[in-house]
Amino acid sequence: MSDILPLAASRVQQRRTVWAPRLRPLPLGKGFLPWIAPLTILLIWELFARLGGLSPNILPAPTKVAATAVKLIENGQLLPDLAISLMRALAGFVIGGSIGFTLGIAVGFSRLAEALLDRTIQMVRAIPFLAVLPLVIVWLGIGEGAKIFLVALGVTFPIYINTVLGIRQVDPKLLELGRVTGLSDWKLIRCIVLPGALPSILTGVRYALATAWLALVVAETIAASSGIGFLAMDAREFLRTDVIVLAIVIYAGIGVVADSIARFLERRLLAWHANYAPGARS
Amino acid sequence: MTAVTVEHLTRRYGDRVILRGLNLHIARGEFVALLGESGCGKTTLLRAIAGLDRVDGGRIIGSGRPAVVFQEHRLLPWYTVWRNVALGLPEADGKRLAEIALGEVGLGDRQEEWPRNLSGGQAQRVALARALVQEPHLLLLDEPFASLDALTRIRMHALVKQLVARHQPGVLLVTHDVDEAIALANRALIMRDGRIVAEYTVSPGANARRSHPDAVSLREVLLDQLGVPADAVAA
Repeated sequence: MSDILPLAASRVQQRRTVWAPRLRPLPLGKGFLPWIAPLTILLIWELFARLGGLSPNILPAPTKVAATAVKLIENGQLLPDLAISLMRALAGFVIGGSIGFTLGIAVGFSRLAEALLDRTIQMVRAIPFLAVLPLVIVWLGIGEGAKIFLVALGVTFPIYINTVLGIRQVDPKLLELGRVTGLSDWKLIRCIVLPGALPSILTGVRYALATAWLALVVAETIAASSGIGFLAMDAREFLRTDVIVLAIVIYAGIGVVADSIARFLERRLLAWHANYAPGARS
Repeated sequence: MTAVTVEHLTRRYGDRVILRGLNLHIARGEFVALLGESGCGKTTLLRAIAGLDRVDGGRIIGSGRPAVVFQEHRLLPWYTVWRNVALGLPEADGKRLAEIALGEVGLGDRQEEWPRNLSGGQAQRVALARALVQEPHLLLLDEPFASLDALTRIRMHALVKQLVARHQPGVLLVTHDVDEAIALANRALIMRDGRIVAEYTVSPGANARRSHPDAVSLREVLLDQLGVPADAVAA
């Protein structure tokens, strides 16, 4: 597997070696400290906007954005668009994830499948997936299909690569142990290969979540008639910077939520792993 | 009752012959130590008996699957201690049997622990429990104490002796350590160039005490066989 994505490999590597210097723990209120800088920036931003140093056409005050959010929720515009965006992300993620995982399992377990598929998959992967957007619009128009396709395309490869990598990285000594213990092939896969590959697969999931989101933003911004991206592009025509900023904030927020879900999964499923155990940094 | 019989076993890697028509018989309840320099083929023999390596000639006749304890504990890090022990057992009584086996190795209170929280000696005891819970006719020990510190190793010797006496499997212990062989085995075999070239009976007195005259003389003989003459040890 020499042509496996080096990025994926290095991410896994990072996970396995913890050599953080031992710093003195902060005495009090350390939960609050990271918030000081962003809150200060927000405050300065707000002050500038209020005092007229910042034109609303360039950047609206944070409070204005919040007010716009409330208004858009109240008049029923925001939530349906949000729901549509989330559905696209979810559908694309499930489709792309299933394809990537299935291919990854096949190639991970079978040298034949590797010989048949891996080169082709690596070739397709070399295309930046956003570059196919114009073609996708020609094929599928600006309907749901195009967005879901693009998200799925972005998700497939990180999942595929990390699944293959995870399976290939399973310690052969543990497989040997499984064999002398008399495990059937199926139990060998279920009890040893898949759990051993899981840290890598979850790294792929986390990476794929970020890609899915990126794909969605691009697709919705360029070709859509609904969704958060459409909301922002629509607002652009009327110079509604408050709505545009709101859309950006929502994208960021959902990205954070998605990442938290991935971290939560890692903590739950990898409780056995020293790097994910309670108290370890993640 | 026979634990395993090995007849004319041959194994080659390319041009190199690792096992040359090797013969070996181990009865149930018998503890056999296999000594030899690195590369003499002792690990190859053990792996062949375990079914992990193919052989090029000869036969291995045993009853049932042998259990193996390796030099590394090889516990699955994603399973708690008891699940590791229950790995090859039927689901229904896995937990119960694992509990009993862990009690036997003195780890009854660590069942729900992750392997990473165990010390080296504890992990190796879990590996021993995992092997014995299978009730094997033949127990293969591949230098299982080599990576433990000296004190833990001595405690492990006592534990293994006691468990083997209770379960009565035939045991094949591959080791570099002459003292370990004298402390544990009924029979010590010297392997060289893919054959067993000498065989010594270890008296119960020698098993029990390092300073027993039988132990002292056997140690000299074994070391001599392994290419370390007595005057070298004295110096």
